[in-house]
Amino acid sequence: MQTPLLDIKTLTVTVSQKEIVKALDLKINKGEVHVLFGPNGSGKSTLLCAIMQLGGYEITCGSIRILGTDIQGLTTDAIAKLGVGISFQHPPVIRGVTLQRFLESIDQSGDLEPAIAALKMEPFLQRELNLGFSGGELKRAEILKLYAQSPELLLIDEPESGVDIENIAVIANAINAMLEKGSPKRGRERAALIITHTGHILNYINADVGHVFMDGKIVCSGNPLDIMEDIKAHGFAGCQRCITDKRGADEGL
Amino acid sequence: MKAYDDSRVQTMKNVAFDPAQEKAASYLASDMEVLDAHSATAAIEVLPINLALEKYAWLKELMHSLVPADKDEYVKEVAASANKLGYFIRIKAGQKVTLPVYTCYMINASGFTQCAHNIIIAEEGAELHLISGCTSSAHALSGRHLGITEYFIKEGATVTSTMIHSWGKEVEVYPRSAAHVGKNAKFVSNYVALSSVKKLQMDPLAIIEEGGLGEFYSVVLAPEGSYFDIGSTALLEGSGASAQIVSRVVSSGGKVATRGKIVGKKAGGRGTMACNGLLLSPKGMIHAIPELLAEDPLLELSHEASVGMISKEELEYLMASGIEEERAKSLIIEGFLDLHIPSLPEALQRQINAIVKKTKADEMM
Repeated sequence: MQTPLLDIKTLTVTVSQKEIVKALDLKINKGEVHVLFGPNGSGKSTLLCAIMQLGGYEITCGSIRILGTDIQGLTTDAIAKLGVGISFQHPPVIRGVTLQRFLESIDQSGDLEPAIAALKMEPFLQRELNLGFSGGELKRAEILKLYAQSPELLLIDEPESGVDIENIAVIANAINAMLEKGSPKRGRERAALIITHTGHILNYINADVGHVFMDGKIVCSGNPLDIMEDIKAHGFAGCQRCITDKRGADEGL
Repeated sequence: MKAYDDSRVQTMKNVAFDPAQEKAASYLASDMEVLDAHSATAAIEVLPINLALEKYAWLKELMHSLVPADKDEYVKEVAASANKLGYFIRIKAGQKVTLPVYTCYMINASGFTQCAHNIIIAEEGAELHLISGCTSSAHALSGRHLGITEYFIKEGATVTSTMIHSWGKEVEVYPRSAAHVGKNAKFVSNYVALSSVKKLQMDPLAIIEEGGLGEFYSVVLAPEGSYFDIGSTALLEGSGASAQIVSRVVSSGGKVATRGKIVGKKAGGRGTMACNGLLLSPKGMIHAIPELLAEDPLLELSHEASVGMISKEELEYLMASGIEEERAKSLIIEGFLDLHIPSLPEALQRQINAIVKKTKADEMM
């Protein structure tokens, strides 16, 4: 049996002494793409920050393992070196550091030129990192960063937010290429956890599993396209009703 | 030109001297000895100041016209010194020379006080680029450098002056400079200090006439035990004069006062100032003192100042990309100190950036 790329067990994450992620279980194997749907403020981004062990995101219960290694006590860079890359929703500006300089500092890809071309980032290489970038440019830079890092597990936070349709296609194509979507699933080495609020990215990326994440928990998992259609039709309020009805039925048994 | 030995060349390399680099002109001095004063172009005249005073009777009138001889104790000491160094650099009207003029002052003997008085004249419509290195050799354990520099930038002329300091830990430095920036003329002053010094205090002045522009950029890395008091003052004397003061300071334990002052006197003047500091150690101190003074309602003057530690968000962002914490900090500091001066010719900007990058790398190791 293969070791999961990401194995989260009964994870509770606390931020400023408030529980945001509550007893969460999630397993992602090589070649799988999981999508996390959820309303704003449900704790989706907190989960990604906890995986990277960013400051202020405390694991108070449970565990996160990357390829079998428990990340508790590891620094953020050490976690990245285990093979995790994150595309932030709101990456910071780093003055004086050009995109090219940054990419050179992290490049494990061997040849970044095709990705630079595919993501149309050539004109931005000499620009200061993320300074004055539009929504689409920020996301393209973040995906290019992932290309440079070449991680096995991609954590992608809201790839479509603030991005026009043309850019979504460019970004999604790049993500698909990273995830080797053109190859048979068995041979794919990478996996991804993609956070989406609207689900729009699913028009471009074939995901394997969808999860609805509400109030710090995964409340529903299944076919991502079915989940997206339900959310489109009924909103997250529909998910809430579904949970309540299911709980009522369970209690009636 | 006298031959300089290897140790002197090595010392000068700390402050941007590259023997292989093509230069428009050079002036190099060690302690009280002038090693070189020559120009490779007829457009630029370079003379030791004593010879220039003999050659040009009018020069005596210019001396101390911008930096008064009684300005402070250090200027008085230079004015009274019988053994003064100094250069006279003049670029002729209408001549534009993009190759840099390189000057260097070096202290070799411990306990030596080096006094210098420099005069730079850019005649009407000329363009001159200066790179000035000031340094002490490894065996000069202490010393003082007292330097007066007066710039006369005539109508429509451009002068960029990049000063790179790399002094010893026990050296005290008191540069005193002032520039008269004529009508529609431009003066760009860059100051780079990336190594320790016992005490360095300076506050260069630019008096900017109608339509003129003065830009001051300073980049300082203050190690523990160093004290820097650096500033720039721009007097917007004429209508439509403008100034920009940008200061980036990193303290890894040194104490730094970073000042900036823009005084607007006539309508249409514009001035902006940004004093930003990164404090990396509780042993250090950064005191940002931006000052604006407007004497006309039709002036636009503004400033921003910030002092803080390395942004946690930026650090984590880089670490999340797999960069170790120390390397991530270095990258942020390097970026923070990165000089980007729109007014410099691209080739010169590249050259200066390469020097700064190398110096920073050496200092941060």
